[in-house]
Amino acid sequence: MNKKFTVVIVAVVLLLVFWVATGIEGNELPYATIGELENYQGKLDGKRFRLGGNVQEGSIVRDKTNPLFVGFIIEQGDETLPVNYHKITPDMFKDGVEVIVEGEFVNGTFQADNLMTKCASRYEGDLRQTQMNEIEL
Amino acid sequence: MVVYGATLLNIALGLAVLTIGLMVVYLRKGDYRLFLAGQRTALGISFLVFLATIILVYNLLKSNFSIDYVAKYTSLETPFVYKLSALWAGQSGSLLFWLFILSVYATIVVLQNRFRYHQLMPYVISVMATIQLFFLLLVNIAANPFKPVDAGITVIDGMGLNPLLQNPTMAIHPPVLYLGYVGFSVPFAFALAALFSNRLDAMWIQSIRRWTLFTWLALGCGIILGGYWAYLELGWGGYWAWDPVENASLMPWLTGTAFVHSIIIQEKKNMLRVWNMVLIITTFVLSIFGTFLTRSGIVSSVHSFTQSTLGPMFLGFLLLIIAVSVSLIIFRLKDLRSEKRMESFISRESGFLFNNVIFVSLCFAVFWGTLFPVISEAVRGTKVTVGAPFFNQIAVPIGIILLLLTGIGPLLAWRHTSRKSLIRNFSIPVVVGLVTFLISFFFGIRSLYPLMTIGISGFVTGTLVMEFYRGIRVRVKKFDESPFAAFIRIVSKNRSRYGGYIVHLGIVLMFIGFVGKAFDEDNEWALKVGDQVEIAGYSITLTNVEEEERPNHFAWIASLRIEKNGKHYTDLYPEKRIYFHNNPDPNRRQPHSEVDIHSSFTEDIYSIFGRIDTETDIISLKIMVNRLIMLVWIGGYFLLIGTVIAFWPSKSSV
Repeated sequence: MNKKFTVVIVAVVLLLVFWVATGIEGNELPYATIGELENYQGKLDGKRFRLGGNVQEGSIVRDKTNPLFVGFIIEQGDETLPVNYHKITPDMFKDGVEVIVEGEFVNGTFQADNLMTKCASRYEGDLRQTQMNEIEL
Repeated sequence: MVVYGATLLNIALGLAVLTIGLMVVYLRKGDYRLFLAGQRTALGISFLVFLATIILVYNLLKSNFSIDYVAKYTSLETPFVYKLSALWAGQSGSLLFWLFILSVYATIVVLQNRFRYHQLMPYVISVMATIQLFFLLLVNIAANPFKPVDAGITVIDGMGLNPLLQNPTMAIHPPVLYLGYVGFSVPFAFALAALFSNRLDAMWIQSIRRWTLFTWLALGCGIILGGYWAYLELGWGGYWAWDPVENASLMPWLTGTAFVHSIIIQEKKNMLRVWNMVLIITTFVLSIFGTFLTRSGIVSSVHSFTQSTLGPMFLGFLLLIIAVSVSLIIFRLKDLRSEKRMESFISRESGFLFNNVIFVSLCFAVFWGTLFPVISEAVRGTKVTVGAPFFNQIAVPIGIILLLLTGIGPLLAWRHTSRKSLIRNFSIPVVVGLVTFLISFFFGIRSLYPLMTIGISGFVTGTLVMEFYRGIRVRVKKFDESPFAAFIRIVSKNRSRYGGYIVHLGIVLMFIGFVGKAFDEDNEWALKVGDQVEIAGYSITLTNVEEEERPNHFAWIASLRIEKNGKHYTDLYPEKRIYFHNNPDPNRRQPHSEVDIHSSFTEDIYSIFGRIDTETDIISLKIMVNRLIMLVWIGGYFLLIGTVIAFWPSKSSV
């Protein structure tokens, strides 16, 4: 009985492991930072992917009559890329923050339908940046 | 004061080394005085950690901004409660807090077992002290919570606590979660003690049964509270996102759940002894791994703290635990093996075993999906992200199988179930399941997974109700009791069994709540005062937007009038807040959407105030209609009540 049992359990486990390991295919999204985008030349047309970069200072433009529509530029080093987004933006979204956008290219503009902010200072702040709260001796 | 805090942690570090040394010498020489001394130094470590924690809390409350940590996580305007909860808001503070809870546990373990388990305790104390030693190394070397502010800066007011963390749920979610994470160190210590001392009988299992249940409950509650906080505060209308750090807390819970089940087999049948060792060690390793994921920044996540030097230290500690545990198990393998054999596939033992296999597989799936981006970058050099679709694709069917086992298990007999009793036991629950399946089909549910989940939920509920009914009927007949009195009696006479059933009922409720997700609706609009929109049979009118200045933030409050079938149903007041609004640097001000929710059994109306354009007064609004979500929280209460019943000491054992 125990042998039979072991065989059955091992078979079930192998099946599950195989299923899990192959389940990633088709559910993974390529991720690139803007700086790495040229490595992907042509490969990402019409494909969904995630893109990381920083929001360029002063680049956020909102439609006065429709606060849902927002355009901005993400940058990394010298690379820049215009992004369009038309949903409510996260609270942490502002000039300079690191964002990850998910979507695809449409006529040279990145159309994002998912916008995530990454903000390191959310947990670990830099006291030197809070000029108002300090006096340099 | 500040200097004392750091010094206390230094001395505690020394005491931890001393404790381990004393125990090692005691085990070689056998001089009982050495053991007693080690017991005291072990209590000493914890006492010093308590003192250090109190000093940090005192400084947080007193806003002593000469401490870097205090300046970074609180400000003068931070409310009292959140000055306290700032203890676990940041890196070094939360590590100290981990150590604090570990020390509370260590103290209880030492005191509770002063006169018991003499063969195990020296090892238990050494293992606990080693874990303390590791965290003491962290707070002494890598992340000192008492670090003074950099020279040359005088901080007049601190940076303040992130408004997202200023929520009552967030104040209790981390401590509860930590109680769970840290708590697994106790069963782990007993398991290692059993291996070291070669006392591999049922003693170590008995000694940790209630610890394990408590810890498992705390971790479960911590996870649910985390989901509840995300739902209330993060403003995306969900409670679970398969974020790496959420996964980190789910993994030890999954293996812990497997362990909670499989120790029953060892208690009753003295089987699965190797497996139980592997499970509890894995669970503890995953708890440390979870802490490591949060701390190291190896996988980016909304939760993760910034990259730090902690990563290598955690990895080293993990490798040490794994190496020691695995070699111990291999060394003791001959003694660990049980002579008992499985007798039949259709038995309760095998039901438990399959339950275990599937829990562990699910844990593996979560582990794989969480670490795949890291593995992919290291091995293939391509960066990918793995999102919710992967986890749902795997977790949903596995979850359904587990739910099914919840219903099958209690119907199987130990050793072997005869065909006759199979038919007798299964007929009613199967009929209940089929009927619920057909009813939900009749009501227009056509997708496979929701239909299966609902049908199986019916089956499981049928099983559980029948189990209660049978128990009650026997007592009513035999002792002529009222059904209610009989109900109380069977539960109190067999707490772990019926407590477990109540937990299972909670799981059924939660699964139905998860099914509701498939029927959610949401939409976003740009609105002026007076505009009306429709969603899911509700019509929503923006009647007003007010402004209000409050002590630590500025708020715009939208008034929404919700109508259903032309009649007034409820009003919602979502807010857009700006924290630190008086800061002259606009980049330091922090906007925050405070959602407003109307909850009912069948659905929640969830409103999010996205943004206001101050020139045109047009606001962006998101409304979500989330079905059956309340059942998830109610299921959580069942989990709590059932587990408390299961681990509450019965009169005979006190």
